[in-house]
Amino acid sequence: MSVLVFRTTLPRFEYLRPKSLGEALELKAKYGGDAMILAGGTDLLVDIRMRAKKPKYVIDIKGVKELSELKYVEGRGLEIGSAVTLSEIERSKVVKEKFHVLWDAVRQLADFPLRTRATLAGNIANASPASDSAPALLVLGAEVELSSTRGTRKLPIKKFFKWVKQTYMEPDEMITRIFVPEPPRDSKGMYLKFTRISVEDLSVVGIAGLAANPKEPEKRIVRLAYASVAPTPVLVEEVEEIFKHDKPVKELIREAVEAVKKKTSPITDVRGTAEYRRHLIEFGTAYLLNRLLEVIE
Amino acid sequence: MKKISITLTVNGQKKTVEVTPNERLIDVLRYRLDLRSVKAGCLKGECGSCLVLMNGKPVKSCLILAAEADGSEITTVEGLGSLNKPALIQKAFIEAFGYQCGFCTSGFILLGHWILENMPDASEEEIKEILNGILCRCTGYKQIIEAIKLAQKWKRERK
Amino acid sequence: MSPYKYVGKPIPRADVDKVFGDAIFSFDVTLPGMLYAKLVGATQAHAKIKHIDYSKALQVPGVVAVFTGAEFPQKIGIYAADRDVLAREKVLYYGHPIAAVVAESLEAAENAAELIEVEYEPLPAVFDVKDALKPDAPILHERLAEYKHASFIYPEPGTNIATRVKLRKGDVEEGFAKADVIVEDTYREPLVSQAYLENWVGVARVKSDGTVEIWSSHQSPFAVRELLAASLGLPIGKVIVYHLYTGGGFGGKAGILLEHIPVLLSMKLGGRPVRLELNREENFHYMAQRAGYIFEMKTAATKDGKLIAHQGRYLLDAGAYADYTVNVARSVTFMAFGPYEIPNIHIDTCAVYTNKVPTTAFRGFGLMELFFASEQQIDQLAEKLGMDPVEFRLKNALIPGKSITPTQRRLREDAGAPADTIRRTAELIGWDKPLEKPKEPWKRRGRGIAAFWKGPVQPSSAAASAVVKLNEDGSVDLLVGTGEMGQGTVSALRQIVAEELGIEPEKVRVSPIRSTNLVPYTWQTVGSRGLYSDGQALMRALEDLKSQIRKVAAQIFKVFEDEIEIKDGKAYVKGKPWDSVTLAEIALGYMFPDGETIHGPLIGRGSHVPVQTTFLDPETGAGEPKPFITFGAGAVEVEVDLLNMQVKVIRAATVYDTPVINPGLAYGQVYGGLVMGMGLALTEQLVFDDHGRLLNPNLTDYKVFRAGDIPKEIKAEFLGVGQRNAPYGAKGIGELTMLAWPAAIINAIYDAIGVRVKETPATPDKLLKEIREQKPELLEEVRKQLLG
Repeated sequence: MSVLVFRTTLPRFEYLRPKSLGEALELKAKYGGDAMILAGGTDLLVDIRMRAKKPKYVIDIKGVKELSELKYVEGRGLEIGSAVTLSEIERSKVVKEKFHVLWDAVRQLADFPLRTRATLAGNIANASPASDSAPALLVLGAEVELSSTRGTRKLPIKKFFKWVKQTYMEPDEMITRIFVPEPPRDSKGMYLKFTRISVEDLSVVGIAGLAANPKEPEKRIVRLAYASVAPTPVLVEEVEEIFKHDKPVKELIREAVEAVKKKTSPITDVRGTAEYRRHLIEFGTAYLLNRLLEVIE
Repeated sequence: MKKISITLTVNGQKKTVEVTPNERLIDVLRYRLDLRSVKAGCLKGECGSCLVLMNGKPVKSCLILAAEADGSEITTVEGLGSLNKPALIQKAFIEAFGYQCGFCTSGFILLGHWILENMPDASEEEIKEILNGILCRCTGYKQIIEAIKLAQKWKRERK
Repeated sequence: MSPYKYVGKPIPRADVDKVFGDAIFSFDVTLPGMLYAKLVGATQAHAKIKHIDYSKALQVPGVVAVFTGAEFPQKIGIYAADRDVLAREKVLYYGHPIAAVVAESLEAAENAAELIEVEYEPLPAVFDVKDALKPDAPILHERLAEYKHASFIYPEPGTNIATRVKLRKGDVEEGFAKADVIVEDTYREPLVSQAYLENWVGVARVKSDGTVEIWSSHQSPFAVRELLAASLGLPIGKVIVYHLYTGGGFGGKAGILLEHIPVLLSMKLGGRPVRLELNREENFHYMAQRAGYIFEMKTAATKDGKLIAHQGRYLLDAGAYADYTVNVARSVTFMAFGPYEIPNIHIDTCAVYTNKVPTTAFRGFGLMELFFASEQQIDQLAEKLGMDPVEFRLKNALIPGKSITPTQRRLREDAGAPADTIRRTAELIGWDKPLEKPKEPWKRRGRGIAAFWKGPVQPSSAAASAVVKLNEDGSVDLLVGTGEMGQGTVSALRQIVAEELGIEPEKVRVSPIRSTNLVPYTWQTVGSRGLYSDGQALMRALEDLKSQIRKVAAQIFKVFEDEIEIKDGKAYVKGKPWDSVTLAEIALGYMFPDGETIHGPLIGRGSHVPVQTTFLDPETGAGEPKPFITFGAGAVEVEVDLLNMQVKVIRAATVYDTPVINPGLAYGQVYGGLVMGMGLALTEQLVFDDHGRLLNPNLTDYKVFRAGDIPKEIKAEFLGVGQRNAPYGAKGIGELTMLAWPAAIINAIYDAIGVRVKETPATPDKLLKEIREQKPELLEEVRKQLLG
């Protein structure tokens, strides 16, 4: 365009409100990429106004009962419907106690009034490199359930993101559930979010960490995943292997930091320089590992 | 674009409005129902000048389609009280100088009201955590926090 | 404790309607038959407009008309008429409004706007002030020589210089020759946004008799009226400006904003009401922001700790249109170098056009920016001298009745208490106490202080007036022209009326909707001048009203007028309060038992012009620019986190010399100014890419602090040292509350880690860069702690 137009009103689209999952999938099958799923709307409506997304149809799934459940089955893990809000997740005792890294990420995501609307599935589907929930789901090894009239498939979260704002979802698919397996017994989790002001900001760098059995090398599990350091949220898989070795903790931390540096490619943007992000990757990772491995309080 | 008929219970009164799909809750509240206390500062969910209570929960009405709100209960600051019959939180905002230009004020008062109703014993840190969701450019927040704490104190004393 | 009944007490604000959703802002104004306008911005930073095709836009149902710059030859601007209504011939910045669509609905206008096509011929653009000063720089305003401008603005045609300001006091060469220590440094501050919550909006219509009415979000209704009339060639008497509540201004809504656009559109469309509302993204592009700054300073002191010379070259990045920035250039020059006496000063200041968003005033009118630089110079000199920064400041602080200001006038005897504010601020922050040591080894604490002074930068003729009308129930209508944008001046004025007449403040009303044809004149709502200027006019109006009360009461009680006492809303003969008339009884005059009536309605009026302010000499700056000056200081304790490079303000202390009318309002200014100042110090900046595109025209990436960021402890005091002619001695403070913070915070960072950041904002990434350059060993320490 040769002119700048910043809209106040939303461009036109049709609003569809299916009452069942079957109906929702039918609509998605019929309209494909012209239809977009509206769960919380906190990202979608901004993108529509700014013309970043131009749906002809908006499918509101909040009326679909099947998608509104947050379930926990001992031994199997969490099952989070795509219409479940972040507030519901934040309020869940089970999530806080057993899936602490997810809870920690969710409570730092956006702000309180937005979390009453925004959903976990939406945060994933938006595929922002700055997604706060994605790193947590990555270290927890979550799976995304994608459904269409053709059937249902489960995609590990690490295979879900394609590029900035792009996923491996097909145009007729929608996220129906997110499965989060039971984390390793006695694991600790933490989400470290670096922001420009101390509260309510997009992550300049986000680091999710999960650790179990810090003192026993062979049983030790350490996982790290990142936001805002690459075109997609990334799990640095090498870290888990590194910590299987029986070496002094500080040495392992140094190795892990090096592995993370290799797997990340931060850029300079309006939220921070690449140099600063690299610093956060180094110091933040080291700090988080020190905390998770109980070197420091 | 099909018109959609929605029914809202706004400040206790049932209202039925015909909306287009691209109308937002803020648009309907401001321009159809004349609730001008609901302000637009960014239309992006950052400032919270458009905050209302929807089914008892604080939401930013610029990021909700009117159609989505069908059947819900909405409270705006007009619904809390009036000069002759102010809500506790409104009295406290006056007493503690919890506002200046007034543009963000409705949002802060509604959040304060929500805190009084749902977390009457919220600590200062918890209050701040909740207020972090919306912006004020005038007050530096301190007197807003003081207003909410004052209302908490009044509420405790009444009991 | 205040000796008065109302003045000096935290009486609730007048505008309680804001708490109940009754308050009407310009944003809320709609009129029957109203049309909606939409501006379209350019996608080039500097380019010739070859062709604008809006044929497709006209076909959108609901579209009434599309206008381009060709239709509007008028030039707009407060001190220099440098602004086009819509870009003509050339666009001067990315986002420059280039066309306006008018339609029956905003949606139609926006749909049509998206269909406009423009053909540009790109021109070389210039984004950096220093580049813009080079002889071969692209010129933004080729016709600068033709622009009308105020007599004290000195544009230099053929260049990008919008104005040049000079200050000469003493002989700097001589001063530097005598110096023992000299600090020479450069400080930079980027363009920033006032970021008020209410985006600009204006609704205009033209009535059949030619009267233009405008409802708009502004600070100064009379400035809008004057500039609208002048730039559109209308008689002042045909322009009515409505002032409703303004959702924040902070300098960004001083003067004329975009009022001329809906007015001109309405004129073209048979007078139909036209509403132009900006959304946040538009507000960042179409409204003027704050200038960027480069301060090059050379400052000297003798070894006994006395400042002896200051030389400065100050550059203001004015963007495409300079608006108030040309006057801000005067402000930073004449108030240099802060509240200190320096015998020799030499300053050259230029405001320079660049291909960026237009700029204008911001709370503090350049002085916060100036002190960011000068108060670091002070700290650097103190360090070189081995002197405590507080002691060094106290040694040089201006002394009322004795010191000579930079503009070569003796500071008036009752000017205030500069040194006392510095001393008390240091006490409140615990300057001499040891700092707490944070438990995390990568966190460091430090303290910093900065002193400031400010008065309004206004013409010597900046007048004010006030009217008080007594009503039949004893209530009073207070009519003043000063705007209400949150600062609460009208609330303070109301309190003065209550005090003077002895009636409850609730009985004094200031209408929330005012207009230039119904309230008396005041120059502008800027420069922290409202309370002082309108307040003096009000004191005279009250004196006028009281003399009428005394006159009527004297006839009733058959005594001389000077025997009448007015107290608690009653008038009586001194010493005989039991036999009184109420103000209600004499509001419309007084009727004797036989029906004979005297005087008629009681109405007081008062006017004010500043005394003893003058023009300034164009070569030296000599003269008196200020009717009053408020003095103060601010100090902070910060915690620098070397892990994430964030700086947290832990506590803040600040002291002002002036008394206050309402501590609730005054503290509100203090807290608001502090948090805004913190933002400018640490997070806020407009970021442009290499093509001049603004990358953060939103509140997602223009980072404003939130509730969780505020300091744990804020101490503030007002010393109560008044100026004789000010109402109850009270001088302005609205802007003053922001002036110390960037300097104090940066000085505190230096105290904490020994790294000096000479450019705002001290964002984490910038701090990291500075640490790497100045003190990399700090990072090594932390690395060792974390990585072994």
